[in-house]
Amino acid sequence: MLSLFFESVRIAISSILSNKIRSFLTGLSIIIGILTVTLMGTLISGLDKGFDKSMDFLGKDVLSISRWEWFGGQDWWEVRNRPRIKLDYVDKIKSRSKYAEAVAPVMQRGASLSRGDLGARSQIFGTTTEYLKTTNYGVEKGRFFTNSEDRSGARVALLGHDVAENLFPNEDPIGKKFKIDGIRFRVLGVMEKQGKFLGLFSFDTQVIIPSGATQRLFSRRGFIRISVKIPGDKIEESKDEIYGIMRQIRGLKPTEKDDFAVNQTIAFENVYNQIKFAIGGVGIFITVLSLVVGGIGIMNIMFVSVKERTKEIGVRKAIGATKKMILTQFLMEAIMICVIGGIIGLTLATLLSLVINQFFPSVMPIWLAITSISLSIFVGVIAGVIPSYRAAGLDPIDALRYE
Amino acid sequence: MSNLISLSSIKRHYDVGGELVRALDGVDATIKTNEYISIMGPSGSGKSTLMNIIGCLDTPTSGTYQFEGELVHEMDDDQLASIRNRKIGFVFQTFNLLPKATALRNVEVPLIYSNIPKADRLKMAESSLVSVGLGDRLDHRPNELSGGQRQRVAIARALVNNPSIILADEPTGNLDSKSGIEIMKILHELYAKGNTIILVTHEQEIAMHANRIITIFDGKIKEDRLNKDMTKAL
Repeated sequence: MLSLFFESVRIAISSILSNKIRSFLTGLSIIIGILTVTLMGTLISGLDKGFDKSMDFLGKDVLSISRWEWFGGQDWWEVRNRPRIKLDYVDKIKSRSKYAEAVAPVMQRGASLSRGDLGARSQIFGTTTEYLKTTNYGVEKGRFFTNSEDRSGARVALLGHDVAENLFPNEDPIGKKFKIDGIRFRVLGVMEKQGKFLGLFSFDTQVIIPSGATQRLFSRRGFIRISVKIPGDKIEESKDEIYGIMRQIRGLKPTEKDDFAVNQTIAFENVYNQIKFAIGGVGIFITVLSLVVGGIGIMNIMFVSVKERTKEIGVRKAIGATKKMILTQFLMEAIMICVIGGIIGLTLATLLSLVINQFFPSVMPIWLAITSISLSIFVGVIAGVIPSYRAAGLDPIDALRYE
Repeated sequence: MSNLISLSSIKRHYDVGGELVRALDGVDATIKTNEYISIMGPSGSGKSTLMNIIGCLDTPTSGTYQFEGELVHEMDDDQLASIRNRKIGFVFQTFNLLPKATALRNVEVPLIYSNIPKADRLKMAESSLVSVGLGDRLDHRPNELSGGQRQRVAIARALVNNPSIILADEPTGNLDSKSGIEIMKILHELYAKGNTIILVTHEQEIAMHANRIITIFDGKIKEDRLNKDMTKAL
């Protein structure tokens, strides 16, 4: 039976090759279908990976208090008029909260860095020593600043990974000097490399300095948020508590709405899932559509192929082919068109995902490749079975007489 | 000699548009090993139907057909396919080769259906082609061969499974006279080697190559005689 199988594959391939253009056009919708499904899958699984990684360093158990909700269509004007978050909230939260494990302000502003001829744009994070506890990444080399350096307003800084490479190419930046908006700072350490968050922005271009220095040297523009590290198993309770404390600080009456926002990385996840389902939904729709269209096309071409080769079927039956053998032969041809289409689609998808990966995280998972090939085999079987049965059922005498 | 084939009261009726056509209407015959038989008759006489039944391409409406003791008229499609594959070698008027396959591949096909391993297959196919004088044409496709050569490929294909009987349906019908003589020569050699051959033809001259001539008319055997003046195409 094995040699019969190879024979069927061989006949199928030679038949496909002798009708190259026809087979290609027939397989085109299969190619498109498989291309779509694998590309979508690749994107989604790439997104998943990138997302998980990004979530990891943001930390799922960190609340971020700021004026804006990260997601949600609040009235812009209302938000615009909310009072600013103040630095002294940090100590108030710290003293009143029983859940908060670490509370760190982050004063963020754009700045330009320079060192000799070298320069870069960067985001400056003015924070306290507790900052490290509110993130999942740490210092790669050197050290973080101390409480006394913070209090004394020492001009020291930790560089994001990319900043360090840009300002100090091929040298150890620790202890060296550079300028933030013209003011000299000394490098204490370099932060771990983060990669791009969802492929969109990167913490590797940041510079972390003590909040003391920030207040002393820079104006108040830019925005401030407060990161609160909470226990991972008490997220809801902690969130309620922080809301309460913030309302207290702001002196809000029970009837008044919140004039601040407590954000959580879970909000990213919700939005992310919506995006994921949208991409997946569109992808599945296009895939199903093109596979159905492709399947009908293949069925059609198989009917033509059976008709064209009626005489051949007669000859094969006369020299001893059984129904099953003829069935196998034609079924294999339909499957081969689909599988070749599938492989082409998969190859294109792999190449495209390599290109896309330059801008956006995308990985082709192996299960997806296997699934898509199985899917093409399935389409081939469904599309080929009726024409193949017709071929197998032909009467040998009629088939031999057919011109 | 044992009976290779025995046919008794074979009838084959068709229903064509409500009208009953008696293509064969009671045929009795026995065929022994190493006979060379011509089946003659005008078109519409039923000789093609008889040939199809003997060749296991068709089954009789009634009557019994024994092939080497097996009851063919009771067989299902797969058993018939197996008999055709192992016991019968067909040679057609229009050659009926697979156009895209080489001579070697064409001859190999019946062996694939009988599940013979590839190495043996190639050896058998090649020696069969050598035996009909096409040892130097193994890799030629049908459109690169002359009519006579194509028919010789078809004969090689018919022989490759070492069948009990060779059925040749107007084998020279599409050939020029010189190629026709070549084919008749090969058939005669096969007969001389002990093969059993049935030749279906409407040409008296071709029929004279056989040692027994059966004439069919209106679905019945009109004459069944030994041919004393056998033409020896050598």
